[in-house]
Amino acid sequence: MKTGVYFCKCGTNITEKIDAEKTRETLVQHYPGIHFSAVDFMCSEEGKEAIEKDLVANGVERVVISACSPRDHETTFMRVLSKAGLNPYLMQMVNVREQIAWVTADSSKATEKAGRYLCSAVNRVQLHDPLEKKEIDICPDVLVIGAGPAGMKTALSIAGSGRKVVLVEKSPVIGGMPVRYEELFPNMECGPCMLEPLMGDLLHGEYAGNIELLTMAEVTEVVGSYGNFVAKISQKPRFVDMHTCIGCAECIEPCPVSATNIFNYNLNERRAISFPFAGALPNAPFIDEKLCISLKGGECRKCQESCPVEGAIVFDDKATVLERTIGAIIVAVGSDLYDCTKVPDLGYGRLGNVYTSNEFERIMASNGPTEGEIRTVNGKPPSSVAIIHCVGSLDPNHKEYCSGVCCQYAFKFNHIIEKKLPGTSIHHFYKELAIPGKEEFSLYKHARSNPHATFIRYGDIRDLSIAGDEAGSLVSYRDLYGKSGSIKADMVVLCPGVVPAAGSETLAAVLEAGQDSSGFFEELHGRLDSAQSKIRGIFLAGTCQSPMDIQKAMNQGMAAAGYILSGLVAGRKLEIQPVNAEVDPERCSGCRVCVAVCPYKAISFDDEKAVAMVNEVLCQGCGTCVAACPSASIKGNHFTNAEILAEIEEVLK
Amino acid sequence: MTADNPVFEPRIIGFLCNWCSYAGADKAGTAQNLYPPNVDVIRVMCSGRIDPQFVLKAFEQGADGVLILACHPGDCHYKEGNYRAVQRYRLLLQMMESFGIEKERCRFDFVSAGEGDKFVNVITDMVNTVRAMGPVKSPV
Repeated sequence: MKTGVYFCKCGTNITEKIDAEKTRETLVQHYPGIHFSAVDFMCSEEGKEAIEKDLVANGVERVVISACSPRDHETTFMRVLSKAGLNPYLMQMVNVREQIAWVTADSSKATEKAGRYLCSAVNRVQLHDPLEKKEIDICPDVLVIGAGPAGMKTALSIAGSGRKVVLVEKSPVIGGMPVRYEELFPNMECGPCMLEPLMGDLLHGEYAGNIELLTMAEVTEVVGSYGNFVAKISQKPRFVDMHTCIGCAECIEPCPVSATNIFNYNLNERRAISFPFAGALPNAPFIDEKLCISLKGGECRKCQESCPVEGAIVFDDKATVLERTIGAIIVAVGSDLYDCTKVPDLGYGRLGNVYTSNEFERIMASNGPTEGEIRTVNGKPPSSVAIIHCVGSLDPNHKEYCSGVCCQYAFKFNHIIEKKLPGTSIHHFYKELAIPGKEEFSLYKHARSNPHATFIRYGDIRDLSIAGDEAGSLVSYRDLYGKSGSIKADMVVLCPGVVPAAGSETLAAVLEAGQDSSGFFEELHGRLDSAQSKIRGIFLAGTCQSPMDIQKAMNQGMAAAGYILSGLVAGRKLEIQPVNAEVDPERCSGCRVCVAVCPYKAISFDDEKAVAMVNEVLCQGCGTCVAACPSASIKGNHFTNAEILAEIEEVLK
Repeated sequence: MTADNPVFEPRIIGFLCNWCSYAGADKAGTAQNLYPPNVDVIRVMCSGRIDPQFVLKAFEQGADGVLILACHPGDCHYKEGNYRAVQRYRLLLQMMESFGIEKERCRFDFVSAGEGDKFVNVITDMVNTVRAMGPVKSPV
């Protein structure tokens, strides 16, 4: 096979240490038919043109490039091969500049080493296969799971490009957690006011037609891979037709069944037919089939009778399973709070006036259970409130990380309590404070300037204990410096760490997307690629990936949308890089070691044929499976055993 | 070692992953940080690709030492290939023992893309270690 070695002089960068002529002599000695050509600056336009012409003129079939690092210019020279009509993978690049000329003191040793490397490359390149990039058709539509701020922002960005978005939301309401908060840090902006324009666009805006919103729905099965997923979505019956219902709420009052409202953390009552809270969108109630007399087989049509619109209440609504084809999936399922009953000394669930931060948010909200009035269980305004920071956070017995948002909302609480009930004593018990950012410090500063606020730093949550009854609580503490004391508090607000949402594990299993050691959806790279999961085509946005504030969640949603808009384009095919793994089904023993070691879940097992199969869309070509295969039945293209062994053999000759 | 060549110059094969260690070697290059020429580099995309048979092949072909360099834990471009490489390295040491090759002749280390200096130190140290050991006594 006619092999050409192209030797870049790189000015004098290479030839200062490596003698081109001696290198040629070494090559000719080992490979008499070799074609050798030294070029001044191979990566220059003239250089590339010279190689291209030389390849054609000499009928070169295999190419060795002796130049700089392949990390710099491998693709440059692969393009030259393509232009010359050669398959670009029939090339081996030898890094004589960074790894020989620039680092070897003795020029005769450098020349010797270059000779060895080039002979080795010539030996290897004989075995190279002409590899072709494959292309597959894709579906540009997208599935977004979770209609909180991140999910909504992502859905709108993608829908705005003219694509179809299926937006799946588990609850009957969109907007996620912040829509339930009266005011948001750091600027005390009203949560619903901030999110309503976004929700309005989603439901009725210019691109709403591109968004299929499925509330009370969950993704139960996903098959396929990037570009071509098929998802099964189970939707529970709402018993109210969202498109017919005008949202007048006439049906609520006549309903004879009452139960606690989970959307307000059971702090007030709701009917069997209800809105999760006033102003909840989509503007249509839902019927809880566990509560509704009619749905339990009884005789009651009170809601239907009071409804001014025909066909809005649908008692025979059924659970459905929908199937949608999409090219990419964005997970934006949000998070939950750490279970405060795991810190029993704080009295949560046992003492009447001990609340979590989310419960307190609803207490402060004008559409919440107390219509925004801060009241103790006996209905009196508290004269003192204890705010316990870092509950379950920064603690090896609970969660070791800092959630990064709790300080901010704790000082927001400080601000709101002072505004609603001036003069109330507020006691902050904190372990650490973390308030970075250009706007974020102001609420803390404000709290510090409040003469009724005290700050007590503790070292271990076990140094705090809360006792009391409905009349009030007593917080006993030992601070970081060993000083003990106790403070009377009519109300206690706990600021628990942010934890993965319930159901994350199930969804991660459905998507085959990994979870990190804390249970959050695992990103491809913490800093470079936190909007991508390890599974190609599955993206992450918001607190399902890590605790974060609304700003970060929105940005991550936009980043995920950006990846999809640029990577998955209608009418454009998805390119599959050929440096990947390939299973020889004849040799495969079916041991499944490869399935276990693949970091990208790119290998599946065909039970019928009892062999492993590589999904070339997902395979990233690392070769871990190739090295792991005990029957040598996986070929790592462009890094085959034969190619690497040929390289080793020749370099040691 | 002969009368003409009093100092034994070991032949060492270095398997480097593309993203960290190979980039670290490039870093040493751009800094023009000199090191002994005894290590011949074989580039693989990931240290997880390094099959123990490659290492044994190197010894069989007369290498006096083998270096396996990978991304630091947690830094692998392919997430966990370096952990697989560590597992295989442990296995490899046992295999080498059965072949009668001292375990010091095969060394595993982590070199990041920024650690040009560490790369030079690892190479230099390995060359000195193997030089002091002399050639492999019982070839594979």
